[in-house]
Amino acid sequence: MSREYRQWVRDYQDQAWNLARYLLKDASEAEDATQEAFVKLWNHREEIDPGSIRPWLMRVTRNHCLDRLRRRRPEQEFVGYETVEERDPMHGAEQSELGNWLQRAIKGLKEPYRTLVVLRDIQQHSYEEVAGVTELSLTQVKVYLHRARKQLREQLAEVRP
Amino acid sequence: MTDYKDSDTDMREERINALLDGELDDEQAEQLKREAMGDQALARSIIEAYQLQRAMEGMRVEKAPASLRRRLKRIPREQRPAYLQPGWVTAFAVVPLLVIAVALMQRRAPEPSPAPSQPREPTAAEVAQARQDLAVAFAYIDRVGERAGNEIELELAGEMTDAVAGSVFRTIQHQKIL
Repeated sequence: MSREYRQWVRDYQDQAWNLARYLLKDASEAEDATQEAFVKLWNHREEIDPGSIRPWLMRVTRNHCLDRLRRRRPEQEFVGYETVEERDPMHGAEQSELGNWLQRAIKGLKEPYRTLVVLRDIQQHSYEEVAGVTELSLTQVKVYLHRARKQLREQLAEVRP
Repeated sequence: MTDYKDSDTDMREERINALLDGELDDEQAEQLKREAMGDQALARSIIEAYQLQRAMEGMRVEKAPASLRRRLKRIPREQRPAYLQPGWVTAFAVVPLLVIAVALMQRRAPEPSPAPSQPREPTAAEVAQARQDLAVAFAYIDRVGERAGNEIELELAGEMTDAVAGSVFRTIQHQKIL
């Protein structure tokens, strides 16, 4: 069983870590949340359908992150290591680092938009899997994702000629 | 959040995203393109949506840091019940071995012998008992070896390079050999 667990770690640690990082905007907290999710995976490994490990793990990771966000005091709701200047789209455009700018723009999205963009557009999960992770209906996933993409497009349009 | 069916903007977004996701059939895609020819805003939205999609597809998933990888790898060992932690496993294995060793030594204590130059032949019962003791001792040794093997396997998982020296050292430390 520990062999299977190691395989799950190899397959999903990067995705879980990335989701936590986008949601919490804090590397240290993201590590803790990811670890908590994998501890839960280890403790419930016998009960989880092997075919559903990834959505299960991503859902638990997200829930741990949301719990942490709820526990934060309002003044703690910071943007992590990013400064205000770095969040300015024009700053990103001047650096010609579209990827970096986009990363910050995604972190600026509200939930559940942020999770949807990370899971669907970056990690390329299916719509059905995204719906399972976020516990939203397929229609809600699509609608919210449209809105999230529209927000990003509008911000992108501001920084691109 | 409001129901998207009430919003024209969301309907338009739905069609653009369906186009990007390849969910429109040929006729629907053609229809959207025709509309975009006469609607500059729609055309711009489609182009921007394509650009965004390309940019996001190009974003790679960041690798988890080494510190997290190490933490995740340690979870099976850390989540074991306390009585299965390496220190206790060794203790449980060593105690019976010690008892057996002492018992064997007592059995082999010198007895007064009428002819010290000639060793006494063991009786059949003594031979049988010795065989049984040995079998028990070997069974314990096997179990200790198996536990140590599992421990090493766990430690060596994934990263063979530095794990060989590191995990052997840690195993030795766990077993309190040094």
